[in-house]
Amino acid sequence: MTCEELRDHYGLYSLDIAEEPERGEIRAHLNRGCEVCMAGVKRALETTALIGLTAPPAQPSPKLRRRILASVGANDRRSSWLPVLAWAALLLVVIGASLAVRNGDRITEDTLRAQLRAQSAEIARLAQAFAIVSGPRTTEVSFGGAQPRPPQGKVFLNPSQGVLLIASNLPRTPTDKIYEMWIIPKGAKPVPAGLFQSQDDGSAMHVRPGLVDLASTAAVAVTVENQAGADQPTTTPLIVAAIKGATP
Amino acid sequence: MLPMLLAAYIGSEERALIARLQRRDPQALAELYDRYGKMAYSLVLRVVRDSAIAEDLVQETFLRVWNRVHSVDSDKGSLGPWLMAIARNRAIDYLRSSAGRERKAVELDEIEHAPLYHEMEAKILVSDQARRVKVAMDKLEPNYRTVMELAYFEGLSQSEMAVKMGQPLGTIKTWVRTALRSLRDELGVAASS
Repeated sequence: MTCEELRDHYGLYSLDIAEEPERGEIRAHLNRGCEVCMAGVKRALETTALIGLTAPPAQPSPKLRRRILASVGANDRRSSWLPVLAWAALLLVVIGASLAVRNGDRITEDTLRAQLRAQSAEIARLAQAFAIVSGPRTTEVSFGGAQPRPPQGKVFLNPSQGVLLIASNLPRTPTDKIYEMWIIPKGAKPVPAGLFQSQDDGSAMHVRPGLVDLASTAAVAVTVENQAGADQPTTTPLIVAAIKGATP
Repeated sequence: MLPMLLAAYIGSEERALIARLQRRDPQALAELYDRYGKMAYSLVLRVVRDSAIAEDLVQETFLRVWNRVHSVDSDKGSLGPWLMAIARNRAIDYLRSSAGRERKAVELDEIEHAPLYHEMEAKILVSDQARRVKVAMDKLEPNYRTVMELAYFEGLSQSEMAVKMGQPLGTIKTWVRTALRSLRDELGVAASS
């Protein structure tokens, strides 16, 4: 089809309501760099973008800004509660330091800084986990319940927040090994989703923040790997949490 | 003269913001949110009508921009219209999947292609335009306005609109095209004035 024949369909294309064969023809013209169609679709997209301005103005909650910045690992400088968390972390360190001093340990400034960093990281991790668990679109999957000697626990998946794994009864890994979580897409290779260690009591909590496409995810799994981690699983998974309705 | 100066100023600001986002400056994301967050949230809320879902989808929108900003040409790109297209697509995608009327994700993704928004007027999303668009929409015949809203805010195809409005498909197609032409004529004048 010629650009002239497609001209009346640019607006429909920009609204995502163009029908075949015109939609495919416009796509083909754009893919081969057709300047006429590119200019026409751009003008149509400008008009479409303006329709969005007719939505009644609404105010998102202040926490949305914090959530968005936290999801790329940044702090909200305008945040009102992050300083509170920072002070809480500092307080924890001070209490820890005073207890240590009481016990006769030698506390250096570097030690305090390291403790503060660790506490801040843990608070950020807990905030991420809380955001995943409390999200309105979070999917929850249990695993290991039928086994006499688990690991067992739950996986929480939120499309915009990420994946949270909570497990118990994990066996202690050898000193040169570590747990690695995997997100397994339907019909594709597992994608590495971070390394973690279990606590002495066999429990673990691991967060992989970021976007998750639930529709294309078949399962979340955990294997034991070398300390550096692996690009693909090299051992049989200890945990496989199949996402409801998904077929690998 | 003032609109030209304003456009030039917004354009240079936008280009600087794109460059900072591409350098992974988190503060640039904060500024992007301050500029377009309320606008994107209002749009998404209008589509999904649930504040918690809307906030989730706006977060997805900004993360998608953050992850795909390298496909934007910092000399030509226009973040606002691109971001609004992504926000609308996320919301329509949610609406369609929750109503069990999924369409291929690629259909929506293809109009998120960043180069389609290159060299777009940097000023088109400034607040004064909102008033002009509302006036243009109000000037449309009620049926024309309805089909525009059903297409844009509810993501209905022309066939779905025909069923919903109890009209022949041919009538709906005529209404949509006439409405688009009227809007383009009205806003074309408004955008360049």
